[in-house]
Amino acid sequence: MLPQASDTWTIYEAAHLLNRAGFGGSPADIKAFHTLGRTKAVDSLLKPAVGPDEFSMPEWCSPEKMAEDMQQRIAQLRQVREATKNMTPEEAEKAKKNANQAEQKENRQHGIEGQGWWFRAMLHTKAPLREKMTLFWHDHFATSIQKVKQPVLLMMQNALFRRNATGNFRQLTHEIAKNPAMMLYLDTQNSKKGKPNENFAREVMELFTLGEGHYTEQDIREAARAFTGYQLNRQNGTVFHNKRMWDEGEKTVFGKTGKFDGDDIVNLIFEQPQAAKFMAAKLWEYFAAEDPPASAVDALATTFREANYEVAPLLREIFLSKQFYSDEVVRNQIKCPIQFLIGMLKQLELNQTPQGYTMIAQQQLGQVLFNPPNVAGWDWGKAWINTNTLLTRYNVAGFITKGADKAPDRPLPGEEPMAMADKDGSMEMQDEDGGGKGAGKALGKKATPERVAVATEVAARNWRGPDYDRIVPRELRKRHEDLVDSLALRFFQAPLADKNRKRFIAFAEEKEGVVFTNHEVAELVHLMLSTPEYQLV
Amino acid sequence: MKTRRDFLRATLLGASATWTVPMFVENTFAQLHNDSKDLATQAVTGKDGPILVVIQLAGGNDGLNTLVPFADDAYHKARPRLAKKEKDIIRLSDYCGLNSAMPWLGSQFKEGDLAILQGVGYPNPNRSHFVSTSIWETADPANRSNTGWLGRYFDNACSGSDPTVGISFSKTQPEAFGAVKNPGICLSSPELYRWINGNDDSKTAEEFFSELNRPDTPAEGNSIAMAAGGKTGVVRGESNLAFLERVALDAQVSSAKILEIASKHRTKVQYDGTPLARSLNLVGRMIAGKLPTRVFYVSHGGFDTHNNQMGTQDRLLGQLDSALKSFMADLKEQGAADRVVVMTFSEFGRRVGENASGGTDHGQGSCLFTLGQGVKGGLYGKYPSLTDLTQGDLKFNTDFRGIYATVLEDWLKTPSAPILKGSFNKLGFIG
Repeated sequence: MLPQASDTWTIYEAAHLLNRAGFGGSPADIKAFHTLGRTKAVDSLLKPAVGPDEFSMPEWCSPEKMAEDMQQRIAQLRQVREATKNMTPEEAEKAKKNANQAEQKENRQHGIEGQGWWFRAMLHTKAPLREKMTLFWHDHFATSIQKVKQPVLLMMQNALFRRNATGNFRQLTHEIAKNPAMMLYLDTQNSKKGKPNENFAREVMELFTLGEGHYTEQDIREAARAFTGYQLNRQNGTVFHNKRMWDEGEKTVFGKTGKFDGDDIVNLIFEQPQAAKFMAAKLWEYFAAEDPPASAVDALATTFREANYEVAPLLREIFLSKQFYSDEVVRNQIKCPIQFLIGMLKQLELNQTPQGYTMIAQQQLGQVLFNPPNVAGWDWGKAWINTNTLLTRYNVAGFITKGADKAPDRPLPGEEPMAMADKDGSMEMQDEDGGGKGAGKALGKKATPERVAVATEVAARNWRGPDYDRIVPRELRKRHEDLVDSLALRFFQAPLADKNRKRFIAFAEEKEGVVFTNHEVAELVHLMLSTPEYQLV
Repeated sequence: MKTRRDFLRATLLGASATWTVPMFVENTFAQLHNDSKDLATQAVTGKDGPILVVIQLAGGNDGLNTLVPFADDAYHKARPRLAKKEKDIIRLSDYCGLNSAMPWLGSQFKEGDLAILQGVGYPNPNRSHFVSTSIWETADPANRSNTGWLGRYFDNACSGSDPTVGISFSKTQPEAFGAVKNPGICLSSPELYRWINGNDDSKTAEEFFSELNRPDTPAEGNSIAMAAGGKTGVVRGESNLAFLERVALDAQVSSAKILEIASKHRTKVQYDGTPLARSLNLVGRMIAGKLPTRVFYVSHGGFDTHNNQMGTQDRLLGQLDSALKSFMADLKEQGAADRVVVMTFSEFGRRVGENASGGTDHGQGSCLFTLGQGVKGGLYGKYPSLTDLTQGDLKFNTDFRGIYATVLEDWLKTPSAPILKGSFNKLGFIG
């Protein structure tokens, strides 16, 4: 058990908890959270008043609609097959292509909707820790829409993560082994007796539960045999174990021998003490700081094992620990792009985003929801930052804070289309706050630099920026020091370094004309967000 | 005397100062490098020096279907569906030939500008993408290094040069660039690689912006006792804030220059629209603009072919071939072809036998290419046996660090031992 902090806490500590266990909030949000006291605040995160069905998913995500869509697709394919019988090979090819394109178009649209849905859920949720953990699991059990191709399966997986957000890690691992999106992503559905595919067997040990060095190549080969025969019914998204495709022979894994199947392997993995250590360290890194001290990992791993791999008690211990509020931890984490975006919107009290823009920003900053770069998920911490992404963060902040009037032409780097453009151009996602037009349409296919530029301009045209009259009352604008301190509390939740405070005040003074208009406020805010300090949380 | 700040401002605002700004970065962290006495410093020869372009084939390229051992029965036996017939390849010897998706590289081989290194790998191979990529990028088979091999080259041989000594055309910095002092820069679109204020009275804002992003002193909390950062190549003990400030300065310094160069140069050569071709096009523009860059790094992904490998790999290799063809034509046109060597690498090869999904699983031992007028073309190393295997994989016979040593010493003209932390046999493909 880690040494615990007392119930009384500062407003800065409350902000820290809300930033890390969620995506931060407005000054009013933080104040309300602070009045709960530390323990009640932590409990409110772990037992939120709203359930995992707080927001209902788009209609196409329901099992009924999914089955219906699939039936339709099969009927369509049959039709195409019939229709092409009397065609020349060229005509037939074209007809097939057209049919495929229709399906791809629908998938693309669903991808856009799903991505936007989750982004908005993170922005609006009353259960911030649940969403923060959903993001954690998405990164941990990384699955990409580029390979899975069917957005509905990603959304089903997303719902699984949300239901089990602070639940049982072993149970979640069992479920993920038979999760359709994961099976498509790591090729489990092609793995059969005599020809096992090692992809899932390897990653479940290396990346999901134990970490490199805590298993042997032999363990992987044998486990791969155990994971054979799982098959996916694409019509309803269920998975069944086809015993005829399963290698029923004896396998030896972690020194134990038996006629194991996939479930047995997961159970064997969780007999390894390393499973608790691995996840305790990873959760500490996610919420607190890199390179956790061995003593903290051991203490947390003990809690985790004693709780039979329930995640909630582990998180409670982290959030109530003294160490979580220490100088090494507070304001010393580099925001991930999603945190940067959601946190900024909350601080600016924006309920909406410029149409299509958050998706573009995710691409530019290197973290697109449902599209991690590989099965290891995203690289975190310092890896988010390089000369390119740092300048882009500053420019995204400029776009959001200034709105259409002052939005620069082409405010974002037109990036190489790698993030979204997959091999056959079949998948593209786009946040769509306002229906299927505008930015989404412009970005419908591959996100080439030209398309990004067009989409951004469309978004900019309708973007008016934050309501600075509300955030920064007119009378405050006359007192430059108070103005800067008030904004600093909103954006940094910590006292500013003296030299920077002086610089912001100097800027405010230099800008003062007859009236300090929203224009100048926006400029000052953009400057505050264009700093190394703002990248920390 | 000018203060450093005056100097920086003058430089950043485009006055005619030379680009030596990051001397400051070096001074700032001078107390941290007590290993500097081992540096094998050479003068960076600037605008005329040799250039290395590294192309990462990410995902584990299948060497067997890249350099095809068409005459080997074992190959056809192990890959009933995936094996390429002799008529489908560009024959290079009685034993092997290039995948026919690479006609231009085939012609370069015949002209003597393409060297193919065979059977490349490292001891105790790791089949994890991430660990193995890390091993290649750090040149450390024990995978314990916090710096990359190219980053150590910058630190050792390019002391005092500006951040554009290494440029990666990517969103994220390659681990190979991880350095103590100078990790190079990343960008993806030069036109927009700058702070955009978008305001009529932008001058004031830009001055304040520069101030805010230019640290005077090492950031508070930066002490040697603090824990090291991740494996992105950072100064040991550097806090996240100090790291951010360093990157902010590098971004400012490099963006002004990159922007200027990129706006000047356009090539007449046609490039494809693939991400790889776009990146190589940018490399061509940067070289034409006379940046003192020693190493460019671009990535070409999608080689993790567990499933239906044939179409995917051929398409990716074809993109590589076409992009390199345009790039080399571009260099020739600007008279820089003799200054550039291209090297490809991939984290591992694939298993010899195909799997049931028409793909291949992670293996070890593979081939890589080096290309350029400075390259002595031909086949190097020995094609590994397809019957004498280790756990279904090829046995490597060429240590990848020998290739790095060759490139460092014979092309970049710098002693390799301090960079690779050991001596490795060179392969003679340069010169």
